[in-house]
Amino acid sequence: MGVGAGGAYAGAMMAFGTWPQVMNTGYKPEQPVPFSHKLHAGELKMDCRYCHNTVDKAGHAAVPSTNVCANCHSGANPDGTAGTTAVHMKSVKLLPVRESQTTGKPIPWKRVHDLADYVYFNHSVHVNRGVSCVECHGRIDRMDVVEQAKPLSMSWCLDCHRNPAPRMRPAEEITNLGWQREGSLDEHIQAMKDEYGDGESPLRASTNCSTCHR
Amino acid sequence: MTETSTPDRSTTQRNITQRVSKYWRSIDQLENSEEFQEFMHREFPQSASELPEGISRRRWIQLMGASFSLAAVQGCRWQTEEIAPFAERPEGYIPGSHTKFATSVELAGAPRHLLVTCYDGRPIKIDGNPDHPAGGSGSDCYSQAATLSLYDPDRQASLLERTGKETFAKDWGDFEAYARERVEELVPKGGEGLAILMAPTSSLSVTAALENLIEKLPQTRLFSYEPISRDSELAGAEVAFGKQVRTHYKLADADVIATFDADPLIGMPESVAMAREYAERREPDEKKNEAGMNRLYSVESQFSTTGAAADHRFAVKSGEIPSLLAELRDRIAGAGEEGNAGGEHDQEHDQEHDETVHAAGPSREEFLSALVEDLVGAKGRSVVIVGRSQPAEAHAIGHEINRALEAVGETVTYTDEPALAQGEDGPVKSEALTELLGAIAAKKVDTVLILGGNPIYDAPSNLRLAEELADAPHTIHLSQYDDETSRACRWSLPQTHPLEAWGDVSAWDGTVSVAQPLVQPLLGGRSALELLALFADGPGVEAKQLVREAVAGKVGDLDDAAWNKLLHDGYAENSAAEPADAALVRSGFEAPAAGEGDLEVVFVPSSSTYDGRFANNGWLQETPDFVTKLTWDNAAIINPNTAKDQGVSQGELVTISAGDQELDLPVFIQPGQAEGSIGVALGYGRTAAGRVGGMVIEGSPTVRKDVVVGLRGNWLPPVADPIGHDSYKLRTSDSMDRISGVEIKGLGRDYTLATTQDHHAIDELGLKEISQRSELLIREASLETYEEHSDFAKHIGPHTPDVELWNELSHDDNRAWGMAIDLNKCIGCNACSVACQAENNVPVVGKDQVARGREMHWIRIDRYFRGPVVEEDGAEKVDFSNPSVSYQPVACQHCETAPCEQVCPVAATIHSDEGLNDMTYNRCIGTRYCANNCPFKVRRFNFFNYTKRFESANNELMTLVNNPEVTVRARGVMEKCTYCTQRISAGRIDAKSENRAIRDGDIKTACQEACPTSAIVFGDLNDEKSEVAAWHANDRSYGMLEGLRLKPRTKYLARIRNPHPKLEKYMVLDASHKDGHQEHGHGGGGHDDGGHDGHGHKSEHSEENHEKQEA
Repeated sequence: MGVGAGGAYAGAMMAFGTWPQVMNTGYKPEQPVPFSHKLHAGELKMDCRYCHNTVDKAGHAAVPSTNVCANCHSGANPDGTAGTTAVHMKSVKLLPVRESQTTGKPIPWKRVHDLADYVYFNHSVHVNRGVSCVECHGRIDRMDVVEQAKPLSMSWCLDCHRNPAPRMRPAEEITNLGWQREGSLDEHIQAMKDEYGDGESPLRASTNCSTCHR
Repeated sequence: MTETSTPDRSTTQRNITQRVSKYWRSIDQLENSEEFQEFMHREFPQSASELPEGISRRRWIQLMGASFSLAAVQGCRWQTEEIAPFAERPEGYIPGSHTKFATSVELAGAPRHLLVTCYDGRPIKIDGNPDHPAGGSGSDCYSQAATLSLYDPDRQASLLERTGKETFAKDWGDFEAYARERVEELVPKGGEGLAILMAPTSSLSVTAALENLIEKLPQTRLFSYEPISRDSELAGAEVAFGKQVRTHYKLADADVIATFDADPLIGMPESVAMAREYAERREPDEKKNEAGMNRLYSVESQFSTTGAAADHRFAVKSGEIPSLLAELRDRIAGAGEEGNAGGEHDQEHDQEHDETVHAAGPSREEFLSALVEDLVGAKGRSVVIVGRSQPAEAHAIGHEINRALEAVGETVTYTDEPALAQGEDGPVKSEALTELLGAIAAKKVDTVLILGGNPIYDAPSNLRLAEELADAPHTIHLSQYDDETSRACRWSLPQTHPLEAWGDVSAWDGTVSVAQPLVQPLLGGRSALELLALFADGPGVEAKQLVREAVAGKVGDLDDAAWNKLLHDGYAENSAAEPADAALVRSGFEAPAAGEGDLEVVFVPSSSTYDGRFANNGWLQETPDFVTKLTWDNAAIINPNTAKDQGVSQGELVTISAGDQELDLPVFIQPGQAEGSIGVALGYGRTAAGRVGGMVIEGSPTVRKDVVVGLRGNWLPPVADPIGHDSYKLRTSDSMDRISGVEIKGLGRDYTLATTQDHHAIDELGLKEISQRSELLIREASLETYEEHSDFAKHIGPHTPDVELWNELSHDDNRAWGMAIDLNKCIGCNACSVACQAENNVPVVGKDQVARGREMHWIRIDRYFRGPVVEEDGAEKVDFSNPSVSYQPVACQHCETAPCEQVCPVAATIHSDEGLNDMTYNRCIGTRYCANNCPFKVRRFNFFNYTKRFESANNELMTLVNNPEVTVRARGVMEKCTYCTQRISAGRIDAKSENRAIRDGDIKTACQEACPTSAIVFGDLNDEKSEVAAWHANDRSYGMLEGLRLKPRTKYLARIRNPHPKLEKYMVLDASHKDGHQEHGHGGGGHDDGGHDGHGHKSEHSEENHEKQEA
């Protein structure tokens, strides 16, 4: 009996331990540069697209190249003087940025939001059709260290795909993570139909297998 | 010689029954052999437990690796991934998006004008450049497969110097020093002793580089050799016109086309454009094709795609074609004098008309008289095309005929053939290979620079090139692979792939076209242009600059804007060559004699390896031949009657002997092959191609630490058995295309040939039923029938009640994707199949697996034969001698009531709301129920991990060929055509991002884009204005197996043939038409007659009649 109970316990632990939500939600790796989204996107109110500038153009929301960081955080000039935008030019934390800029080698960021390879997710179509960053990534503008806030599981995706209108927002508010809709849900849905549809038929987000798996 | 197609078999009484056979795929099927039954009864004839056996297992493992491998990182949630962004991202570059670049390359002896899709800086897909004046949309299988060769890990990666038995790895610095030494020695002698051997090229920059070199070293000698050359064609022009001209055919203006051993639809340098023009004139609807449907005659020994497309095909030995051409010329002249097309022969023909016909095909007399009538009747709109392999005199006669038909200036134009290089005193004439050997033997040449090519492997066997070349102390071979020739040379240099280098080519019409590198040389190679520049000007010359200067020399000054436009477009506008005048120097050329002996061997390029250069390309090796459907092999293609006479059987190894040369080959019996003619494909039996195409290393070479043995890879033994048999062994310098008087002797041993012709046969209950119902799959009629009943195709097969089996999904408020394929335009060229393989990461499985029916192609091209039924000794048989061929590309039909979906226990394949039959790999558990329940046999199962990842850095290169938009499937997963769902997604995303609807034509499937004849359309059936909706509404449209109520989303447009009225009786095309009505009337019940009373029956049953039956 002890063996059976042990087996059941082990099985339960296995099932729990490998549950995607348990494994991934809250995943918060340490990055090579302690970049704070809270500071940049929250307090300094930089637009997400300043750095992730392909998010509305391609499938990938590309992680910025080093020279984007260097726009503000370039190192000191050879003579030791500061450039015009040399913010924290001697910071030890920014060493990898300066290294990358000198050597041309990429900064090895850790991927936080990692979908399975058989899932084909496209950022541009979501961002261009009223789905804000916050819907999948949470309040990045409040995170010092980025963590996975949502489960990113298939059922979670489908929750939204089956009824997208409540989670959509006007195009100009896409990167405003703190945006709250005003008025009733019905009014909102009608506004979304007007903006993204023909004003009549319900907004369609495909739930076909081939939408994500191909 | 009056009835070539059926020699006199006087002992048997043969009567044509005026009936046509049902469609059949192979003699095995027709005779219902054991092998065929095995294939019929089991979806997958051998089960998964059967591992590949013996030697083939090794081959198979090699294949898995060498042609493919899995993407770098597997889908594992718990593995940390890193993101490595650029330190400085290039301007305008968006990670994860596609960019298309125009380029032009010389591939398989022809200029190809391409649009290459790059993903994150690497080329992953190749298509035709639709804007190019000499190219246009659509491409061919060689272009489609070029990306696999680009990422081939067997390509040569380092320079090798061979001294005696030892091989040293070198770098370009070493070679530059060596080259400087050589040049210093050559300069005082004015370059005497330097020989350059290369294939003819149309590149302006290479020509300029050669001229530059000749200016510095005037005594340099140029030699050119290409195994599949246009030598006799050019010689024919010299005979006829006294100068070398290039002939251009305008098939768009041709009402009647007659080909003589020519394959204008696939086998000629400008075939992509010719095939398109031909197909445009195949449209039977006069509203869309005002000039009317063309008529194609084909006279040939081998079954080519042109022969398969032809309205009338006459199979005759290649050796007899010149005399047939001469007779044709004389009769055309006679017809002109009398002002009567048919002349005296008409009468003869009429007499014969009502008698019982004893032959299965037209006699030579009948064929010629019909041909003369048509050609002369359409003067100025008819054309004769003589094939590359025919002797010079045959070409001269062809030129004479075109002149007599007033075709010159109408359907035929000429341009001057460009010379390889211009010297001070006019063109520098390149010499033949034999001259080079003489020069080496006479010690007049000591430095031989071989640019590309593989002459040791493909030169005529009597030249003994390898032995002769060994006498030259300084031999240098530039090649993509360390191949047979490289092994015989002192220096073996890696060459860039055409997609890696700057260059240019002149289109077939002379249009200046540039080639830009799509990726940096992956393995450190250099191009022929760079090597020539190295010899002339030393290191450090920029190829881009050379190309720009050479192009500017032709099209005038190129400022940066003009240069960028040229690169963007891929060609310079209005730069085509001026038409040349070509006047016949005399007339009445003599046809050369056919040669002695009953048997001839005709050498043909392989549909897979061309001349052997693509031997290491798994996609091409596994692509079935156009007609034989043979993969991974060449064979001796023999007519059934010849095989009977010679006492050899299918798959038997035979020895073919011609003079001193001998070759062992397996027999492949091919209906429609000319009697007495043996077809042998070149390009097999490679011993230094790579781990796919064959790699033999003799003995055990001395290994030192700095010595490189074989290829760089050490993860697999660097040896592989040759694929197929090396037919160059049979070829001598005076019989490059044809040998007469050969003998064959059976060896009594069998050889496994992996042919796909019986695979995936769409069976219904029992063979008898199949033969009854094959019209449900493929439908055709003559133009006459079409004009009377344009919707004939809809009335074939049993009546299907229009009831729904269950409540079906409605797609009315959504898009409804659908496809239509015009069988009238399809020429069976395989471009779609290879394009699909490139787009959808379809794996290569190897010969052993193909022989078991496990090839993975998502779109296959079914090839059906039909021949007349004859009575022989009282029994009815199908005549094999001159069958007609029908092609049908078959991919997933995306049935609206898909039977596969009903049986999947895990809902891995279900319907989308846009009508796609979705396949979700990560759900599939591999029961294979779906494949067993699919009546179209389009589902493919991964029996093994064909894309298994090898834990080796060496395989990184291969993974680059995969399309990142498509999952790479693992073992145990079912897969099939998805209508390129990734392209649908891309089109949908673009439209949604721009807040608009998807426009018709936005989304093109890979097969559609590759098709040179635009035979495939794809789009939204709910959009009434879409092209695909129009095709579905076409009178000729029908669905396969409509009686099963599956509602396939792919519809076919029935094929229309345009027979000459006097030859129509041999076609007996319309049996199916009447059958359909009968079957319809009798409720599909067992009539076993299946025939009808020949032509002229059509008026008997009108639409009215049909209505009555239905009532």
